[in-house]
Amino acid sequence: MSDPMAEIRASFFIECEELLESLQDGLISMENGDTDSETINVVFRAVHSIKGGAGAFGLDDLVKFAHRFETAMDEVRAGRFTPDSDAIRLFFCCADLLGDLVRAARDDITIPHNTTAPVLNELDRLVGCEDDVEEELDFTPAILSLDMGDTQGLPDITGLPPLSDAPILETDVSVTAPLPSAPKGFSIHFKPETSLYASGNEPLYLLRALRDLGDLVVTCNTQRVPTLNTLDPDDGYLSWHLKVLTEEPIEVVREVFEFVDGLCALDITPLSASSYDPIFSDSTDQVDLQTTLIDVSEPPVAPPQIEAPVENAAQEAVQPEPPQKDDIPPTETPEITQDTQKKQPSAPAKTTSTPTQPRATVRVDLERVDRLVNLVGELVINQAMLSQSVAEAGLPPNSPVSTGLEEFLQLTRDIQESVMMIRAQPIKSLFQRMGRIVRESSASVGKQVRLHTLGENTEVDKTVIERLADPLTHMIRNAVDHGLESPEKREAAGKTCEGSVTMTAQHRSGRILIEISDDGAGINRARVREKAIEKNLITEEMQLSDSDIDSLLFMPGFSTASEISNLSGRGVGMDVVKSSIQSLGGRITISSVEGKGTTFSISLPLTLAVLDGMVVRVGGETLVVPLNAILETLTLTDDDLKALGPETHVVQIRGGFVPLLDLGAELGYRSPQDSYVGRTVLLIGQEDGNRAALAVDAIEDQRQVVIKGLEGSYGRVPGIAAATILGDGQIALILDPTDLVSQATGKTKKRNAPVPIAG
Amino acid sequence: MALRDQLRVLVVDDMSTSRGLITNALDSFGIRNVTSASDGPTALQKLAQSPVHLVISDYNMPGMDGLQLLHSLRSNAPTRGVGFLLITGRADREIIDLGKKLGMNNFLKKPFDAPKLRASIEAIVGKL
Repeated sequence: MSDPMAEIRASFFIECEELLESLQDGLISMENGDTDSETINVVFRAVHSIKGGAGAFGLDDLVKFAHRFETAMDEVRAGRFTPDSDAIRLFFCCADLLGDLVRAARDDITIPHNTTAPVLNELDRLVGCEDDVEEELDFTPAILSLDMGDTQGLPDITGLPPLSDAPILETDVSVTAPLPSAPKGFSIHFKPETSLYASGNEPLYLLRALRDLGDLVVTCNTQRVPTLNTLDPDDGYLSWHLKVLTEEPIEVVREVFEFVDGLCALDITPLSASSYDPIFSDSTDQVDLQTTLIDVSEPPVAPPQIEAPVENAAQEAVQPEPPQKDDIPPTETPEITQDTQKKQPSAPAKTTSTPTQPRATVRVDLERVDRLVNLVGELVINQAMLSQSVAEAGLPPNSPVSTGLEEFLQLTRDIQESVMMIRAQPIKSLFQRMGRIVRESSASVGKQVRLHTLGENTEVDKTVIERLADPLTHMIRNAVDHGLESPEKREAAGKTCEGSVTMTAQHRSGRILIEISDDGAGINRARVREKAIEKNLITEEMQLSDSDIDSLLFMPGFSTASEISNLSGRGVGMDVVKSSIQSLGGRITISSVEGKGTTFSISLPLTLAVLDGMVVRVGGETLVVPLNAILETLTLTDDDLKALGPETHVVQIRGGFVPLLDLGAELGYRSPQDSYVGRTVLLIGQEDGNRAALAVDAIEDQRQVVIKGLEGSYGRVPGIAAATILGDGQIALILDPTDLVSQATGKTKKRNAPVPIAG
Repeated sequence: MALRDQLRVLVVDDMSTSRGLITNALDSFGIRNVTSASDGPTALQKLAQSPVHLVISDYNMPGMDGLQLLHSLRSNAPTRGVGFLLITGRADREIIDLGKKLGMNNFLKKPFDAPKLRASIEAIVGKL
């Protein structure tokens, strides 16, 4: 602990950022017509608190500005001034400047007065309030006689009436502590039929899936287990009584048992307050439960060795969202993975201005978190190595080492997810910064633009948020400058004068999808084509589809605005945007409808640290293909393969044709093969809906891998996203399927020597 | 034993910066028995668990403001006698008059420094 004042000062600036955020929120509500006094109060209080703290640290510039702003907001609060849209625009401007001043104070920079003066003058002109002179107040302090003798002068607390009885002044403020509500959850009777085991289902996985929903208490009924001489090893004798504490609806619980429907007797009833079993509130009772579990190691009567109950409480405190369910062992089909990922809570409902109870938080140096992330990454690699050694040692799958290792795998996953959660932040802060960009850029080109945001509580890795700021800023400027038409043109086209730019963020298939769309004129494809020909990017004879033309915008050195406006056109093109998105492991696509507008879609990985991948062998090399890119895997038959042209093949998959790519040939590991019949192919799906079939030699494994960046050492390698270290210590490259497909030659017939693009 | 060694104080402010500043200043006066709360209801709960001699509270807080807290304190027999120092950014006559009526012991206008805080506390409880 160094200087306590320095620490408080540092925390003040962090607190200021939070206040600025609620200030923005409040103003956005006001802009949308919210005249609720609490909304205005939130805005007032944010400015007031910043001023108060700034005063304590002698940050005079900040105090002066905040004071004027506060005075204006006080006028609004007192109902003496009703802000119109111009006034609210000015308030936004003040809020932006307040943010600048806070950061300037933090970084010890001075902002020249001529930046703030015009805004303040405008504020005074609009709100029309003069700084009130504070009157001298006479107040005689009331002396408190403290008898520090035997009672120490402390009031006696035993006779304190319930707090709710305390009369409350003016407004109705509830001071009652929240009563512990009846537990939400379900009581489940689960009795597997013999057919459940016969069809290869494992109750353990079901119980694990339940555990992911919340605290779980497992009681195993072993009464039906006969003596050993009459035991039929193929029969199922066990049944379970389960209690799961969860906020999820009954459908989600039912879904866990979806695949054993009809193979078991199942009874799910919601826990009611009356049936509330104190088992959850008293941990001492839980010990007995374990004794009801018997340890038989021969399936199918093997009971799952689940710790009863499973404590999730600590985890829940860190992660508000239920844990992702994609950590069920690989008996799962890819379809299920897709399905469960869809259920990931996407953007929760937009928070309103109503004050929410602040959650208890701890501020931690990011470096410490990063160290933890790194260590967990090493743990994952270590765990993979250990698993491999155990597998190679030839131990039976039900040996204590194997089962213990399985638990270890589960724990590693949980730790990893929790650590990632620490790094995750709502994307809101970034969206708010974009609000300012829209306001400033629309003002400088004389357009009226409203920014709409959706899914601002979507959580994204902090590093991703930071590195997204520049590309998003550029795209927003582009949307305002090039995307939207002038108010006159909009009117002529029968649109509202005010253009709209919409930013959305959501979780989709284990990735973050950010979309920026405008309701402007759309891409003028004829003009783009002309320009591209002019710049020698394409030739006049080239036949290009609409999406090909749109993609030209991402080519280096492309700029459509005929004259360079004072907004975009700063020498930074969409190609730079594209490469910064790619460096985040993301992809960007564009879609446009003439007259209706343009949408940019950015798809990003949830984290930059780990990835679920399929380990494949090709041409003697081991590669990892990101699982989220693989739609399905199949083995080619003669009927599937159709030759197309002299050097290429397409694969017929369910009525559609997909180009066949030989991964080994594309990466230069080998020449195209003579025949691909019987080969394994991975069907790769892309954001734009295009697909490709990648031929590999063998699929080895499906596992989580720790991403080790290559760009620092090798720059960007086409078709390759990064590298990883596998369980046996081997280094494997991680494929960037989309990049690979976009650069692929498609040669799948022996004719010319393959042109390597990497390797 | 000096008064400062025995005095128990509860600091109520929605801004953690302010709580930190006040606690830090109290510490420099030798007052170590300090707890804090980020809002009125929490303050009342803390007081119900362990009483204090003096409450130092901000005026402008979401939900329950400083004077509403004072009113609650004065309305409950066990906390009726607790000392109350109101910290306020705007020393409006309205606020001060209401505070007086409700039995506030003293007020302190923001911004303030440690000596000012010390003086307003000593005006209530005597020499620390």
